[in-house]
Amino acid sequence: MFKLIRATFLGLIAIAFTASSYADITFVSWGGAYTNSQQKAYIDTWSKGSGVTVESYNGGLGEIKAQVEAGNVTWDVVDVLPDQAITGCDEGLFAKVDQSSFINDMVVPPVSDCVVPQIFWAYTAFYSKSAFPGKKPKNIKDFFNVKKFPGKRGIHTWANALIEMALVADGVKASKVYDVMSTPEGIDRAFAKLDTIKDHVVFWSAGSKPLELVSSGEVVMALAYNGRIGAAVLSEGKDFEYIWDATVLEQEYLVAIKGGNEKEALEFMAHASTAQALADQAKYIPYGPMRKSSINIIKKGEPWFIKEGGNIDILPHMPTAPKVLKRAVIADPVWWADNGAEVSERFGAWKGN
Amino acid sequence: MNEKTAGSILTTEGIPLKVSLQKAERRNKIRAILLVAPLLLFILFTFLIPIGDMLLRSVDDSYINTVFPKTFKEYKKWDRQGLPSEELYKTMFFEVKEGSGRSIGKATTRMNYAKSGWKSLLKKSKRKFKKIEEGPYKEQMIAIDKRWADIEYWKALGVMVDPTTAGYYLNAVDLKYNVDKEVVRQKENRRIYNHTWVKTFKVSILVMIFCLMLGYPISYLLSTLPLKYSNLLMICVLLPFWTSLLVRTVAWMVMLQQKGVFNNLLVMSNIIADENRFKLMYNETATIIVMTQILLPFMVLPLYSVMKTISPNYMRAALNLGASPLHAFWKIYMPNSVPGISAGCMLVFILAIGYYITPELVGGKDGQMIGNWIAYHLKTTLNWGLSAALGAILLGVLTVLYWVYNKLVGIENIKLG
Repeated sequence: MFKLIRATFLGLIAIAFTASSYADITFVSWGGAYTNSQQKAYIDTWSKGSGVTVESYNGGLGEIKAQVEAGNVTWDVVDVLPDQAITGCDEGLFAKVDQSSFINDMVVPPVSDCVVPQIFWAYTAFYSKSAFPGKKPKNIKDFFNVKKFPGKRGIHTWANALIEMALVADGVKASKVYDVMSTPEGIDRAFAKLDTIKDHVVFWSAGSKPLELVSSGEVVMALAYNGRIGAAVLSEGKDFEYIWDATVLEQEYLVAIKGGNEKEALEFMAHASTAQALADQAKYIPYGPMRKSSINIIKKGEPWFIKEGGNIDILPHMPTAPKVLKRAVIADPVWWADNGAEVSERFGAWKGN
Repeated sequence: MNEKTAGSILTTEGIPLKVSLQKAERRNKIRAILLVAPLLLFILFTFLIPIGDMLLRSVDDSYINTVFPKTFKEYKKWDRQGLPSEELYKTMFFEVKEGSGRSIGKATTRMNYAKSGWKSLLKKSKRKFKKIEEGPYKEQMIAIDKRWADIEYWKALGVMVDPTTAGYYLNAVDLKYNVDKEVVRQKENRRIYNHTWVKTFKVSILVMIFCLMLGYPISYLLSTLPLKYSNLLMICVLLPFWTSLLVRTVAWMVMLQQKGVFNNLLVMSNIIADENRFKLMYNETATIIVMTQILLPFMVLPLYSVMKTISPNYMRAALNLGASPLHAFWKIYMPNSVPGISAGCMLVFILAIGYYITPELVGGKDGQMIGNWIAYHLKTTLNWGLSAALGAILLGVLTVLYWVYNKLVGIENIKLG
């Protein structure tokens, strides 16, 4: 009986909202400097028929799942994290994509067959040069060492990347991090390391917050998305310095929502994932393209980052620069899709108790 | 008019008065129902059905049964001692191999709640099963991934065999089914919800008490001042009320953080040392302070409207009859203002207990409430069953509190004006 009521209820909503004709597409991303770079790189240059409306969201698949289940899909193309790309594709929230045009050009293979490549971004530790007039923190061990470098640390409110960084700070090799994490003792070890800074952390959840925390002196070091740090340094002239150690490299993809304007969405996604589009995006934000040929375009075109009064070399700010990669952890979205829920609960317990 | 005489009286059209009256009455009733029908429908569709749906989700575990019906049938024969038989491996093999990618994918999300790892195991297996043409399947499956030989994975399936589950409710109070489907406590380092429940109530009650302590004198002042002053003061109460919640919350962040206005002032005036700045932001204290400020108007407004109706003559009479001011207040004014106190406390408490955005922004590591976890599971883990169970418990607790309140104070004592 309830099933029936539910079906009629959802059906009614669906009827009420699907009465649209050939439609513009709604592109949903994270806002700020990042969306701005997407706007300039491939939304402004998109001329095929449909217009593009840009919206912001805060990640997560909840809203998308709600739209798909209610049959009222108002988002067409969404910018997602890799573990969400996996889960969403599994759950049938995303449309399948023809990947033949780029699959051999990617730095790492795509996480699912619902995605087109975007960028590599990274969780990176950073500080303001003015906070450390003397000795400066050099690696992730210093980030976790509150005796050597007293002061608060800004960290994000979820477990991703923190576990990896804690383990590297505890002496695990960056390349071995996921082997250690796959054992229960490994996770214990990471939490034990996190315990050492627990009384010295300030949590953030919005990407602009860590920059604010460091700028205002509320914390002396913080973790942040590297592109935000880069944008603050390159565009606003902030005196931030990266700690390029145990940088956790994450992937970012575009997906088309099932039941939205799929045809237009897929066309748009093909346009937004060309080597040129990805390279152009780096003119406005220092994230690393996921296509090999985009990196070549940038190399040839340096100085690449667009700034008033002279452009700047972008490659040194990229999380995929060779010297950064050598000491980086490449995040494993499959591990997180598998263990994310369990570790998150434990992280929640750690935070709250 | 009594029954007998009413029967014999006729209207001018010759219809018995009783019938005519009944007709008119019925017309009125229909009109009344039609008038409230939009509201009823609205409540039905936006309130009752979604809540019903939520309650259903919190116990529903049927989807996975539609994906692996044969496996689960076979599963019930397994003695749960050693590894399952070839037969069970075989049914699992075919249901994974032949199932649609989408249904398997959706099922793995559910299976992962029971045991982390199912997702990648099935995904990998589904890809590799295509190459396997004939049995025996057991060895070949184990050769693909040694997790197929891990009895814990098989045992974990047991908690999903029934189409309904209490598992989400157990999760919501830090219990769980172990692999043998006995109720056990959650592992110590994953216990979060009981702790959060207690904190949610603690914070809500404290916020309610602080609102009452701050709101009562303000309302008293508002209701006794001459109109031209009280209007001005009322604006002061309402202005923040009209300001966006986010703006107010962020303003508090600027005020209270360690390098913020409040601490800076104290340091500048040498009241505290630079290294002893108060920690007022990103913790439970922050949650309580900010929520109190945000919810204060919900206390002041009902209190004010009730106090406005208390005639000053009562107090004068009490004083005249020799009561001390305190005594008069306690015996006369207070009891008269109880409906306002009740209404204000109920409003503030109910709003506080489901609060989400303020704790999220200012709560830091120990100021998070249950609403934050509901949102987290809705948005990030997609574990809507658990979200629904947490929500249902919240609803249940509120209903019980309401009932207790009704028994103690009486709901008819609530007054908003």
